[in-house]
Amino acid sequence: MLDQNIAREVLAEAVHTGGDFAEIFMEDRINHNLSLRSGELEQVNSQRLHGAGVRVFNGTKAIYVYTNDTSREGLLRCAEQAAAAIRSGKGTSPVGFSSWSAARPEEIRRMPTDVKAAAKAEKLRAADAAARQYSPEIKQVICDYSDSVQDVLIANTEGVFVTDQRVYSRLRVSAVASNGSENQSGSDSPGASMGFELFDERVDPERSARIAADTAVTMLHAPACPAGVMPVCIDNGFGGVIFHEACGHALEATSVAFGTSVFSGKLGQQIASPLVTAVDDGTIMNEWGSLHVDDEGMPTTKLVLIKNGILTNYMIDKLGGRRMNMAPTGSGRRQSYAFAPTSRMRNTYIAAGNDDNDEMIATMGDGLYAKKMGGGSVNPATGEFNFAVNEGYLVKDGKIVHPVRGASLIGRGNEILMRVDRVGRNMTMAQGMCGSISGSIPTNVGEPMIRVTSITVGGGK
Amino acid sequence: MDKNAFVEQLLLRAKESGLDTAEVFCSEKEAFSVMARSGDISDYQVSSSMGLGLRGTYKGKMGMSSTQALDEAAIQQLIEGVKESAELSESAEQDEIFPGEANYPAVETSESDLDSVTAEDKLAAVMNLSEATASQDKRVDQVMYAFISTTKQTLLLRNSFGLNLTATDQAWSALTSAIATRENGTKANGAYMDCGRKFSDFDAEKIAKETADRTVKQLDAAPVPAGTYRVIFFNEALCEMLATFSGMFSAENAQQGLSLLAGKEGETVASTAVTLMDDPLLKDGFASCSFDAEGSASRTKAVIENGVLKTLLHNRKTARKQGVETTGNAARSYASGMTVAPTNLFFKPGEASLEELMANMGDGIVITDVSGLHAGANVISGDFSLISGGYMVEGGKRGRSVEQITVAGNFYKLLENIRAVGNDLLFPGVGIGCPSIDVGTLVISG
Repeated sequence: MLDQNIAREVLAEAVHTGGDFAEIFMEDRINHNLSLRSGELEQVNSQRLHGAGVRVFNGTKAIYVYTNDTSREGLLRCAEQAAAAIRSGKGTSPVGFSSWSAARPEEIRRMPTDVKAAAKAEKLRAADAAARQYSPEIKQVICDYSDSVQDVLIANTEGVFVTDQRVYSRLRVSAVASNGSENQSGSDSPGASMGFELFDERVDPERSARIAADTAVTMLHAPACPAGVMPVCIDNGFGGVIFHEACGHALEATSVAFGTSVFSGKLGQQIASPLVTAVDDGTIMNEWGSLHVDDEGMPTTKLVLIKNGILTNYMIDKLGGRRMNMAPTGSGRRQSYAFAPTSRMRNTYIAAGNDDNDEMIATMGDGLYAKKMGGGSVNPATGEFNFAVNEGYLVKDGKIVHPVRGASLIGRGNEILMRVDRVGRNMTMAQGMCGSISGSIPTNVGEPMIRVTSITVGGGK
Repeated sequence: MDKNAFVEQLLLRAKESGLDTAEVFCSEKEAFSVMARSGDISDYQVSSSMGLGLRGTYKGKMGMSSTQALDEAAIQQLIEGVKESAELSESAEQDEIFPGEANYPAVETSESDLDSVTAEDKLAAVMNLSEATASQDKRVDQVMYAFISTTKQTLLLRNSFGLNLTATDQAWSALTSAIATRENGTKANGAYMDCGRKFSDFDAEKIAKETADRTVKQLDAAPVPAGTYRVIFFNEALCEMLATFSGMFSAENAQQGLSLLAGKEGETVASTAVTLMDDPLLKDGFASCSFDAEGSASRTKAVIENGVLKTLLHNRKTARKQGVETTGNAARSYASGMTVAPTNLFFKPGEASLEELMANMGDGIVITDVSGLHAGANVISGDFSLISGGYMVEGGKRGRSVEQITVAGNFYKLLENIRAVGNDLLFPGVGIGCPSIDVGTLVISG
């Protein structure tokens, strides 16, 4: 991808004004997207992303310059621009490269670039038909297929010179149920760090379609959720988004390093109920959020973030590590060369506990059972988060009464984790795209069913 | 390869390879940003990026593909990508490349001074902003960040009929966020963003003062009991809502069963107080341009006039399907297919100031910010349930701040229930603009 001599020249140029670390990130990426709407294949789109970024540190200051021009001259221009932002510093002498490839081609059995678009389209048609068959109330189905093959090269003044290849495949099905005056939607979006074997081994498009259609139809007949403060059971899989938003982002160096996180300075302290053990694991083969090396060229790790309620680790990138005076954890990630990397989550989940799902509901009194969660967000300054509940059920006296629509959950991360009083046994993960300052990246969320003793539920009634 | 040489080559080779018509859409962006945290420069970013998309008809069907690399391999990939995409396309209503118009309207834009602003000027400005924010008010205990960015964007639209259109735009934006601590230990956070075309309009003191003011005003914030409240949306918060739900005005969404406004042209869909404009020719508008992504001439239109839906937003394909004229709202990125999007979409301002709206409301809540729209707002149903902040209105006057509340409702119904439209029209650095609006009643939980 890049000649070592040019890399050496570019890194030397980048630190010549006093920078004490420099890095090149180069990327070449092919994306394929297919979109089926109203039963017709509407868009078949191939994209090639190509570019590189040069990053220079001067102590805890970071300079990042990127371009599409990856010629020697283009990269040297980036290095010059970055160096020009530094007037003095301690400087560094680049270490000789130890070159290696982190790619594991044996993990991918059907490279998406070798699969005809027609075969990909068949998967969308199968999903579309199954969703429409589910109910006459399903009036629209949107099916999207996407795959991506990302080749990266990371080289730095500490001797890293590593290439990697990341392969992703994903299906998204959205179904819309309508009675003419109201629309409700449901979706399912499974994916993995896999090739087209995703559909042989993990994903059945018809099953995804039925999941999406079932939510849409159920919600079309559901009244608005009552608003108030109540106990909530959050089901497994995408329910793990609660940990991701309520706590995960606040454990990233990005917010911890400047002391703005509610969890800054809390290592070794209890920040969650003793029932909660939470993990961020970048090493699980073929998982959506896994990486061989992170976007700073460091092998990824499995990190226990919270052990029995005690905070044990933060997620730390290289710059965050400098700012916090701690070692990086293989958590440096970015959407593409157009973003400087920062600390991000990978596959993040609450580990399985010992509680029984039926008992959780039966003993909760009056509250909400959040069967399917939507996305969420958090304000890192205040720790305030919010999530949408895509499919919720009202619970009265320990019994599920009827579905409710339009619910959302809000609260503060540090408060909500302390109020977890049940953790179930069946942990599953689900796929999402996580947005933050270094762009939108694939991450898994996960949990078994958990119960929170009280949480503010927003609703339309 | 040089961009112009590449485009020449590409159009030539597309023709040789059997594409009947072809169109190139290229966007280039130069960006600079700098952030100060803990009183020092922490991040500094410079970029130049380019993306190029090719659309073309092959055997009577439309295909597309895109690239960021301008090399020989890219020419091959683009043309083969278009062919493969066209062969698979099943769209019943096939699209065409539009040859172009004879004339395009003029857009009035103030001259930008950004080309003469140096990196040093911007570094000094961000430090100034950070220090000004920190020193505004003793109760502010931390400036989360101060951030300044500048961008220069160039669009190129060329096709095999000889059309060759370009547009360039430059802008700056500046943002600060600060934290204060309440007596109970929870954090109060306030932020303010300003933007424009002329850097000489950048006023650190104004941004710092507004940020600090917003932060300390959150110190007395608390939730409110759940219930139905009278609500005014502050202009900034309503802009977030309108941006999220603007897809309901797309004819493409309507034709696909994704908007409940389908077939409602000529019907009353909003309160008579509502006039919603889409104006690509707005002077200094952030989304102003004399042509759309297909090369149609831009035109000003009312989407809703006094509550009546006058038109949905169309590109050439959706217009053909419905037997109407395009509204000049074709939109795309270089990498995406053709779609429909608003340009400068805004509620026409009314007479009343925010204070007058509050006085008329009497008791209720002003919502000043909403978050988590990607999760808590369902663009298909119109339902929203959003974490929000704002302040109480008691006897027509501002009371204490509120936080940790959700505001829930349905955007279609909200349009019908609007009681009064304010005069404080704001465009927060994008084409979506709103004044503060009295939306009647909504369910609040806290």
